This record gives sequence, structure tokens and C-alpha cells, in this order.
Amino acid sequence: MYFGLSKTAWGARLLSAFAAAIACSAGVAPGGDGPRVVATTTVVADLVRQVAGDRVTVDALMGPGIDPHSYKATPRDADRLARADLVVASGLHLEGKLGELLDRLGRRTRVVAVAETLPRDRLLEVAPGLYDPHVWFDARLWSGCAPAVAEAVAAADADGAETFRQRARDYAARLVALDDELRARIATIPAERRVLVTAHDAFRYFGRAYGIDVVGVQGTSTESEAGLADINRLVDLIVARKLPAVFVETSVSDRNVEALREGARARGQPVTLGGRLYSDSLGGPGSGGETLEAVLRANVEAIVSGLAGGR
Amino acid sequence: MSPAAALPYNTLVVAAAVAAVGFAAGVVGCFGVLRRRALVGDAASHATLAGVVSAFLLTGRRDLPTLLAGAFVAALAGLAALVAIRRFTRTRDDAATAIVLGVSFGLGIALLSGLSARGVAGAGGLEQFLMGHTAALTSADAIALAGVSAAAVLVVWLALKEATLVAFDPAFAAACGWPVPLLDYALVALVAVMVVVGLPAAGAVLVTALVVIPPVAARQWTDRVAPMLLLAGTLGLVAALGGVAASALVPRLPTGPTIVLAAAALFAVSFFFAPERGWLARRRMLRDVARRIAAGTLTPDEDHADG
Repeated sequence: MYFGLSKTAWGARLLSAFAAAIACSAGVAPGGDGPRVVATTTVVADLVRQVAGDRVTVDALMGPGIDPHSYKATPRDADRLARADLVVASGLHLEGKLGELLDRLGRRTRVVAVAETLPRDRLLEVAPGLYDPHVWFDARLWSGCAPAVAEAVAAADADGAETFRQRARDYAARLVALDDELRARIATIPAERRVLVTAHDAFRYFGRAYGIDVVGVQGTSTESEAGLADINRLVDLIVARKLPAVFVETSVSDRNVEALREGARARGQPVTLGGRLYSDSLGGPGSGGETLEAVLRANVEAIVSGLAGGR
Repeated sequence: MSPAAALPYNTLVVAAAVAAVGFAAGVVGCFGVLRRRALVGDAASHATLAGVVSAFLLTGRRDLPTLLAGAFVAALAGLAALVAIRRFTRTRDDAATAIVLGVSFGLGIALLSGLSARGVAGAGGLEQFLMGHTAALTSADAIALAGVSAAAVLVVWLALKEATLVAFDPAFAAACGWPVPLLDYALVALVAVMVVVGLPAAGAVLVTALVVIPPVAARQWTDRVAPMLLLAGTLGLVAALGGVAASALVPRLPTGPTIVLAAAALFAVSFFFAPERGWLARRRMLRDVARRIAAGTLTPDEDHADG
């Protein structure tokens, strides 16, 4: 927190050094098949893989379970970014502290922030000029990012351009179909219980798209601390709507959610923990949540079984 | 919810925990302030971050007792380093404190960044120990925090005579044959305990305020040790409850920082209005002196000498 800024600056300085070194040795470019793409988060890496297939190597800077809001770049990251042919970010300030580094990088390497290619009127504005970055939870909206990725990869690998565009169209179609499927599943929850209480406000696009009220204890970013008024307000809501479950996220602390459960229990409303939702990162290998499609399905199933069942 | 009815459950839990911590921190902090070692608590609190992260790394658990145990070990290690630096390198107190504070906090940040860079599952949220997570305290947390706080106050009460003498006249205490360094370290260790207990209430950066501001404010009102302890504890308790109340009434107001601001407000009140030591009292006294001088032959210009 204190050292975030200076660390980023340090990373950027290192990055310039590396970039200079690479520029000098540009003649002896290391071998490898196809362009190398570095994606910031696992969600973005999945998007690039879906669109580009095997023609490129995709590397995610932040692994599974990492909170991008507070992620601090290491010198190794700067190295990986500097060696990439293309950098794909999520954008809209999701990569809080990494943002400055990406801005500087943008002068040398092609950096695409996929969420920023979406039409502004489809985004949720949290403050004037500041948009909620968690757009991938609306499958239909996220499908609009695929063309930008296709064009960006095509610029690095012109031979594959048609393949990329075709794959982008196919993937977008899959996401739209998934979108309908998810909406139908959420609709099976009794209307008065369609409330998703969770640790931070990552699910607002999800709520808007699939017709479920979303209330987070923390703000949109995980950096802010919850106040007592926020906790009390949520306990009131849980009791009033008789919600049988609240949810925790894979990449965020669950202390606030525990406090909610205890508060509701004390007022005669037992609340179960409705399984961990994937929020700002996909699952690791073998988790069953390696792709965005799998993650969206897993989240919706967890929500439906938590809220629809029981009393 | 009707506002007239009993307070919401979470407010009660948090208020109970924070009131106990605030009281004990105020009491224990007095000796740190009287011994002019106020910043020792700061060094200890900054060292706790490394302890929290290490405890998580070693055990893989993230429940409060585990993390606080790690924090306590780290705080004691930091204080041991402080003593060692002072003793073996002839570095002054302030420089040694600054060294321990900076190095241990740097270690904590490095460990935390390392965790997040390697993607250790469940590490998210550990950085909350920097800022505290007061509003999310559960009843189990409250019981643990109140228990430790009560024990700390009990220790101070039992050792009141010894601690007072060591604080004011260490030479005499040594002449009486008391193990002064040992008592000194024990008092400092007690400050470390309160810093650790205050972590969930205010976070590593702000917790120092809880062991320093109430004693300093209490010092304004009295010259005697026992009343100072009691008053410091009360001020800490009031600040804690004030912060909780503000945070419960105003949405999106974090509890920990609000407590510290409430403590600062109490300090400001003490600074201005305390009898004898307070700014107003001293001003009145100086004006009185000036008037008497004016009545005599001398006319020195010292009406607003104390600013």
C-alpha cells in the first residue's frame, strides 16, 4: 500500500532497462511458434485463448486466486511484459496498480484493454467518468470484446487473421447462447430471494444481466474497508428477505461475510455459506473453473442451489 | 428495524470488542508515553505484518488467533532487535526504532507481495491487517480480544508500584535492587501485546494511535499516575465507542480510522481545555502574570508569548 507507487515506479524503470536491452538485441529475436501474448488476468487470458487458439502462446500475469485490484507488479512481470508481442489487459482500472506500468508500456508494445473497447453506454458508471470493470460477468456484453482481441492478434500474426475473426464470431455466439441459459437458471429462484449478498461489488453486471439484486459489503474495489453501517444494513436485508445463503469469493477475504452470517443468525435467520463464487480470477488447472464459460456456469449453479433450496 | 429498539447485533459485538481494546490500550500505553518510548509501539505494530503473513505461510490458516499469534511473535522479535541494536551498536533510541520499524515493515510488504505474486490461494485479504477490519469482528474475536485486554490491564494493576517507580526514577529503582531492565522490557512487551490485540480493531498503521493518543491526552489532565491510567483507559474507551457509533450511523465510513479520529478529537479537547496544562488555562495564567507585571513597573511584551 505504502510501497505500491514506488514499487510500480521501480518496476517501470526496470522495464525500460529491459526494453532497451531487447531493442538492442532485436536482430537475434528468440525463436518460438507464433506471437507471444501476455494477458493481465486469467479472465482475459481465457478470452485470448478462445479467440486465438493454438496460433499464439498466452501467458497470464496474475495467476488464479489473485486479486487484480491490489496486485503489485514484480520486476519479473515487467520482464514478461517487455518481451510480449501483444499485451491484453482488462482495463477500466481493474488492474489498479498495474495500470501505470501498462500505460508506459503502451509506448513500445501494443496494449489492448478489452473492456475499454465496449460502448460506454453499456457500462455501469460508478462515479463520473469511472466505470465498473467487472464486465465479464455479463456474457453477452463480454462477447463484444472478442472482435477487438481478434484484430489485435491479427496485427501480430497477419496469416491467422481470418481464423481469428472466425473464432471470435464463434466464441461470441457461444457466449450469447450461454447468456440465455444463465438467465433461465436464475429465473428458477423465487423472486423475493433473488438477492446475491457477497463480499465486494464485483457482480453488478451479473445482476443487471440476469435479473438478481446484488449487494456487496465492500465497494467495487477490494481496497476499501467496510463500515459498521454497511454490515448492519446488509444484516437487515438478509433478515427482511429471508435469504438462506450468502456468498464468498475466491479472491477476496471472507471476514465480512462471516460477520454478516453471525449477525443474521443472532436475529433468527440462519444463513448458509453458498459456496465460493469466482470473481476476479478463474480457477486453476483441475478446479473445473478453467474457462470463463465454466466459471459462469459454476457461479450460477452455486447461487441457484444456495438461494432456491430449503425453507 | 426500529431505531429505539436494541442496537443491532453486529454493532454490539464490535462495540464490546473495541471498547475493551481501547481501554486496555490506553492504560498500557501510559507507561510507554511516560518512559518516552511512544514510538516503540509503532515499531512493534509495523513488525506485526511480517508475522501475520508468516503465520499464514507456515500454517495455511487464516483464523484470527493464528494470525495474531504470528503477529505477537513478530512484534516481540522486533522489540528484541530494537534492544539489541541499542545495546550493541550504540545507536540512539529514535534511530534504532526507525530502523526496526522500516526494516520489519519492508519485510512484511515483501512477503505480502511475494504471496500475491505467487498466487497462494486464500492470501487475498491479508493486507486488510494494514488497515484493520473492525466492522467484521465476530463474537469469537470479541471474546478473545476482550480477554487479552482484561489480562493486560490486570498485569498493569498488579505491577503498578514497580512500573511507576521504573518510569519516573529508574536509578532509585535499581538502587533498591529491582531488575529495572527486565521490568522495562516487560512493560514494553505489554505494549506489544496491546498493539497486536489492537490490530483487528485499527490495523497495523493506525494501532499506534490507540496506545499513544489516549495517554498523551490523559497526561494533560493530571500529574498522578493512577488517575492518568484510569483516564487514559476511559478516553480510549470513549474514542472506540465514538468511532463505532459514527461508523454505525454513517454508511461507507470505515470503523478503524474513525476510532483514531475520535481519539484525536479527545486529544484536541484535552489540549485546549485541561486545567493547568491546557492551552486556555495557560493563556489565562500568562495573562494574569502580564497584568500583574503591568501593574508594577516592568512592561514586558509577553501577553501572547505562548502562541
